[in-house]
Amino acid sequence: MLDVLSSLLLVLFVVGYLVLAGADVGLGMLMPRVARGPGQRRRVVAAIAPYFLATEVWLVALVGVLAGMFPSVEHHVVERLWPVLPALAAGLLVRDAGLWLRSRVPGAAWAALWDGAVVAGSWTLALSWGWILAALIAGDAGATLFTVPCALTVAALFALRGAAFGAERLVGESDAESADVAARDTRRIAAAALAGCLVTAAAAVPVAGVGPAALLPAVLLAACLAATAGLSGPMLSRHTSAVAIAVPGVLVAVAGGLPVAPIPEATAVLVWSVLTPAIPVMLIGQVWLYRMTRRPSPAPGFFA
Amino acid sequence: MFDDPLLLARLQFAFTAATHYMFVALTLGLAPYILTAQLRAALSGDRERMSAVRFWGGLYLVNYGMGVLSGLVMELQLALNWSGLQEMYGYSFGAPLALETMTAFFIESTFLGLWIFGWERMGRWAHLACFAVVTATAYLSAWWVLVSNGFLRNPVGFEMEDGVAHLTDPAALLANPAATMAFGHVVTGSLLVGAAVVIATSAHHLRRGNDPQRMFSRGMGYGALVMCLVPIPVAAFGGVQFQLFGQDPPTSGQTYTAAEIEAVEAAGSGIHPAVGATADILMMGLWSLMFFLGPLLLLGLLAARFSGRVRAVRWPLYPLAALPFLPYLASVAGWVFRETSRQPWTVVHHLTTADAVTPMSPAAAAVSFGLFTAAFAGLAATTWWLLVRFARRGPGGGPLAEHRDDAPEQDPARVPAL
Repeated sequence: MLDVLSSLLLVLFVVGYLVLAGADVGLGMLMPRVARGPGQRRRVVAAIAPYFLATEVWLVALVGVLAGMFPSVEHHVVERLWPVLPALAAGLLVRDAGLWLRSRVPGAAWAALWDGAVVAGSWTLALSWGWILAALIAGDAGATLFTVPCALTVAALFALRGAAFGAERLVGESDAESADVAARDTRRIAAAALAGCLVTAAAAVPVAGVGPAALLPAVLLAACLAATAGLSGPMLSRHTSAVAIAVPGVLVAVAGGLPVAPIPEATAVLVWSVLTPAIPVMLIGQVWLYRMTRRPSPAPGFFA
Repeated sequence: MFDDPLLLARLQFAFTAATHYMFVALTLGLAPYILTAQLRAALSGDRERMSAVRFWGGLYLVNYGMGVLSGLVMELQLALNWSGLQEMYGYSFGAPLALETMTAFFIESTFLGLWIFGWERMGRWAHLACFAVVTATAYLSAWWVLVSNGFLRNPVGFEMEDGVAHLTDPAALLANPAATMAFGHVVTGSLLVGAAVVIATSAHHLRRGNDPQRMFSRGMGYGALVMCLVPIPVAAFGGVQFQLFGQDPPTSGQTYTAAEIEAVEAAGSGIHPAVGATADILMMGLWSLMFFLGPLLLLGLLAARFSGRVRAVRWPLYPLAALPFLPYLASVAGWVFRETSRQPWTVVHHLTTADAVTPMSPAAAAVSFGLFTAAFAGLAATTWWLLVRFARRGPGGGPLAEHRDDAPEQDPARVPAL
């Protein structure tokens, strides 16, 4: 019982991270495209800032759950992915340093430097995640015909999530232009991601690890991308991009062949008995922050 | 020397942890002060008093950002470089860390976001409640981390099954004296760090006759009081732990026999006793110095207040700018002492440091070490520079100050689109 709950918790943190952080990481990737000039860049950072504080905690919690309840899975991941994980950490460090520091000193050069860090860090994060998820599905971190298109497709899914987020959040008098660019981009990125999916799927057929369990999520992903690319465009992209980016996480869970071992009872009971009373506070904080910052503040704040 | 992955991994962890702790200590030390200040401002409904909260809160946030960055990297580093520890002790050492990430950091960061973005968006009591949650979870976070760290020092409450430690007694894990005493020591030491920063900042502004709403006089009063009272529990919680250092953990003998333990300890001390002894002397000397500084400071303040000669005698305020160095150095020296005295073990009498490290190539270890050490040095230096800069600027120019007209790019309407 607690084993199943704990596994679900792990999947929840993976999917929650991808869906929520996909928005701020993806928008960071697209900053050079959607923002022209310092004013628009400031608004993009103002849209990202409230999110990143509340989304990267999902990643930290994910690593915590791995360390405390799934040490064998953690060992499996670290063993296979050693060079990618420092790249992920570096991307996170650079992106977050950019967000924390960009508004600390007035001046265009300082802001441009740290905006550059946000963009470079966001790309590093998305590509690292692509590599990690591809390597976990394939069971091999090397560059193969499967892992390369798969990694690029995941990075495209991050960008799609960011474009959908930007189309929703960047509306306003001064930067309707940014929102329009982001909205138009949802179609193009979805089309590119769909092409990436097809290449990945074609390469996946000979890979032994991908079985029928992966079929349903893969078809769902393709359907979401097709809808965003052709029929609905930006209108439903907020939801389709969320479902799309969740799929690679689910694929790792069903097709990754992770060595899940039963959790010793004392550890599971300790974790769940302390965690359970904290869950309502965790949820209240997250929902409150997302709802409160739906409209970016027009006045300059701490981050932008 | 620098082609040894074990040494590089250890140095990297030492640098990361020491840097992380510097920011953590100020977070823990400032949070109760800001919470109290905000409570008083909320009670009085006084906008001017709130500007003091915004000032100290701005310093808190600049400091917190670097604390989070170093904490993130530290967590990943633990997984990457110390897989031997995770493999054997995931269910015991890792469980409190898992609880830290979910029940403390997750909530702390989210509610800090609410606090940062809530100044104009929520009522003053809700806003105060957010910071109360931030303060509580910051301390909870320290507690869980010290439960994990205390386990390494004094491993309790588990049995080995097939080379993996299975938790048998969670209560013993939580009540581990190596964790509870360390928590008391760290919390009180951090209050001193916070008080020293408040004193140094206040002294700088008082020296210039800058004391809006008496906020810096209040800061001096608070700092002097903490400096008087808190060194006693710091020393007490620290002293109790010395007893523990000489004792064998209750689980000793489960992994290695007494003879094997003796052989490991005889072979692997190296330079640690010397480093530990230096850190010990530094720590003891600095804490003792602070014992005398507190009463001195309080007497000085009272004398200045009752003699009415505050404006005439300003020279004692100059050296106070260097005060934060004392508790900072003492804290880092304390950690060096604690961690080196455990060597050659990672988990005392169970797992050696050499067995805990991930097997990796010297090149990979060197690249990872070089990259993260350089990035950390740069970011830590930038953060310290910013902290000093904002502390000197005072409440008008802080990152949370209400009105900012120092940057033309702050106003998007004035910037023509390219």
